Amino acid sequence: MILHEISDGFDQCIKCGLCQATCPVCKELLLEKYTPRGKVQLARYYGKGELALSDQFRDIFSKCLLCGSCSVTCPSGVDLKTIFLEMRREIAEKRGLHPSMKEAVIAVYEQRNISGEDNRERAEWRESLKSIPDHLYEKDEAQVAYFVGCVASFFPMVQVIPQTLVQILERAKVDFSILGGEEWCCGFPLLGAGVPERMKELIEHNLEKVHALGARDVVFSCPSCYRTWKEYYASDLNLFHSTQFLEKLITEGILPLREMKMTVTYHDPCDLGRNSGVFEAPRRILRAIPGLTLVELENNRAKSICCGGGGNVEMADPNLSAAIAQKKLEEVRATGAEVVVTSCQQCVRTMKGRARRQKMDLRVMDVTELVLQAMGVPSD
Amino acid sequence: MIANPVVEELRSIVGPDWVLDTPEDLATYSYDAFLPEFKPDVVVVPSSTEEISRIMRLANGEGIPVTPRGAGTNICGGSVAKEGGLIMAFHRMNRILEIDVENRCAVVQPGVVNADLQKTAARYGLLYPPDPASMFVSTIGGNVALNAGGPRGVKYGVTKDYLLGLQIVLPSGDVIRTGGKTMKNVTGYDLTRLMCGSEGTLGIITEIIVKLLPLPPAKATLQAIFTDLDDAANTVSAIVGSGIVPTTLELIDKVVLNVIGNYGGAHFRKDAEALLLIEVDGEAALVQSQGERIEKFCKERGAVEVERAGTPEEAEKLWQARRTAFGAVASLRPNCIVEDATVPVKRLPEMIRKIVELAEKYRLEIGVLAHAGDGNLHPLIMTDLRDKDEMGRIDRAMQEMVDAAIAMGGTLSGEHGIGIAKKRFMKMEVSESALEIMRGIKRVFDPNNILNPGSFL
Repeated sequence: MILHEISDGFDQCIKCGLCQATCPVCKELLLEKYTPRGKVQLARYYGKGELALSDQFRDIFSKCLLCGSCSVTCPSGVDLKTIFLEMRREIAEKRGLHPSMKEAVIAVYEQRNISGEDNRERAEWRESLKSIPDHLYEKDEAQVAYFVGCVASFFPMVQVIPQTLVQILERAKVDFSILGGEEWCCGFPLLGAGVPERMKELIEHNLEKVHALGARDVVFSCPSCYRTWKEYYASDLNLFHSTQFLEKLITEGILPLREMKMTVTYHDPCDLGRNSGVFEAPRRILRAIPGLTLVELENNRAKSICCGGGGNVEMADPNLSAAIAQKKLEEVRATGAEVVVTSCQQCVRTMKGRARRQKMDLRVMDVTELVLQAMGVPSD
Repeated sequence: MIANPVVEELRSIVGPDWVLDTPEDLATYSYDAFLPEFKPDVVVVPSSTEEISRIMRLANGEGIPVTPRGAGTNICGGSVAKEGGLIMAFHRMNRILEIDVENRCAVVQPGVVNADLQKTAARYGLLYPPDPASMFVSTIGGNVALNAGGPRGVKYGVTKDYLLGLQIVLPSGDVIRTGGKTMKNVTGYDLTRLMCGSEGTLGIITEIIVKLLPLPPAKATLQAIFTDLDDAANTVSAIVGSGIVPTTLELIDKVVLNVIGNYGGAHFRKDAEALLLIEVDGEAALVQSQGERIEKFCKERGAVEVERAGTPEEAEKLWQARRTAFGAVASLRPNCIVEDATVPVKRLPEMIRKIVELAEKYRLEIGVLAHAGDGNLHPLIMTDLRDKDEMGRIDRAMQEMVDAAIAMGGTLSGEHGIGIAKKRFMKMEVSESALEIMRGIKRVFDPNNILNPGSFL
């Protein structure tokens, strides 16, 4: 049991309750057990042997977006995320997987992706591109590897992200390649489901395939893949989120951008902003587009509120995820912007899905889509 | 233990989802931000005054203790079930019922978060001044029950100064209204204020009318650093005595300044003994001239560095040290006891010296934060509850601290409340006959002693 190693974290919690100020989950579910403080205390009671791991424990700990907002508010610097992940691991080990996460986990075990589809179909999104080079972006050697991620590979609503990013990289003459069917899930969903030990195989495989390309740089359009690589993949590769990579290209003058007269707001994805510290790259991209006006959300940068799509909550409690997404859309609407731009396929999916269901007239775009448009390329 | 039929009746009153009695629920309502924990027998989350009335009638008949709880952020053990029984949580009664611009007041339910009221009022150009450190989380109901203060207290006072009226459910289940929307009201005893600071021992507050002020258009924020604590303390007296009423006048001593630096916060010069954070608000021209005068005061009285914020961002930066102070200190040792002794503002330097002396005498680590402008000190005692010897020394130091504060004409608690944290000191400040009056009041409201038993009386 690793739990004793994090028990200092329990003691460090002074039960002040200030974490309730920013936790999107407890604002919806109200009860103390759903607050970050409540969860830390439950972990402490369990650690002391006063409470047993019950189904309710599993339910409570699955209702966390892993968005990290509590860690920012906590005055005592408690490492809440580690405690929550460790509890998910403990629960999965002692009581089995969360029923709603089982399917995705088994899909990763068996198919190497969260969708459960044949992993050879990972790059099917290429098929709707109008023109595509002969190598189909799968080269034997390349300086840059583009790690697409499961969600953008398999979910039609967000396949536009890899579709646009490859076009941008191609036009910028970047020597890059995707891994196609040899890209395996980064392991992030396993972490959230409480089975981090099963990540090892995935990590080794992905590293091996990137090294086989001879790549020095890896680009991610998914903030969670990016963060998982940064935190769990031991390598000396240069890791870039797509916003960082594009910003570099724009600064170097490689991507000339045309005027776009529009007002947008920007949603900081939790795993890119607060949890990886990348706040400025996407904003510098937006500012580099002439004519574009950026209106900040009321809660931006480290204070950004999760879209509702984090922490596998979408699987564990879709209603909770939707309620949080609704609040996000209301915050977006208050800015008066016509478009909400973000830099994460999961945020795009969550916000777009909610906006459609609500028949709300709002465009949700990934920053890559916007850049391609600003380059004067009509989107497919 | 509460008998099953009673729990069933509670379920029929509030609905089955809002009566909580699983081990996980009881555990998470067994604490607040103070130290000791007590497990309740059941947690009930009502949605209306009518439901609360029925719950109280039931609990009173059965002799079940009822402890009301807002966000559980108090640091006196005010919202834990010291004698078991029922915790009444106000999560669902969280609506702002009305912002009445013409009458400059708001009507709210007890579970409304302080900062949410402030934000909503600001949209109407109005201000709800009380700003306890917990304001982004703590509820107005809890703020009223504990008469919460905050840094703005120097100029604007505390919760009781903004309270116009209440709706209260008595243990009998009867519902009464006190006060109303008028600024003036001298009809009978002032039951509204009696409820304020009563720590949930007299009745359940179910609706609150608060007074609002026009939102001041401008503010100036200054930070001054002193290499001599006395200079800082004298500057405080000088400002207060000069006719300027600062919104906020905070002092941070060198122990806390060092901790902030080590915690990754702002770094201050090595010889800094105290920092003053000063804010004034009002019309722009006035604020400008007051800011200049305060800057001059600080420099004349030995400040080695004075910074005046030019933008809201700069002001926020100056606040950063104060905001991180508590967390930084709290993270040093396993536990941190926040004291709340308060003295008339002129005696502040003396009281600070006393605390430094007590820290040495009892070999304790104590940092001092103070709402200096109103003499409200928050000595932060860093400790480990498991260290019996140190806890014994802390107890003696606190005893002496309270003694000193009272001898200076102060009080043992400025804004945190008594609860169980300072119950043992009550008699040092309140005479036996005054206590008997309090007990008498308690008997009138709550003859069966079911409301928050184990509290200060």
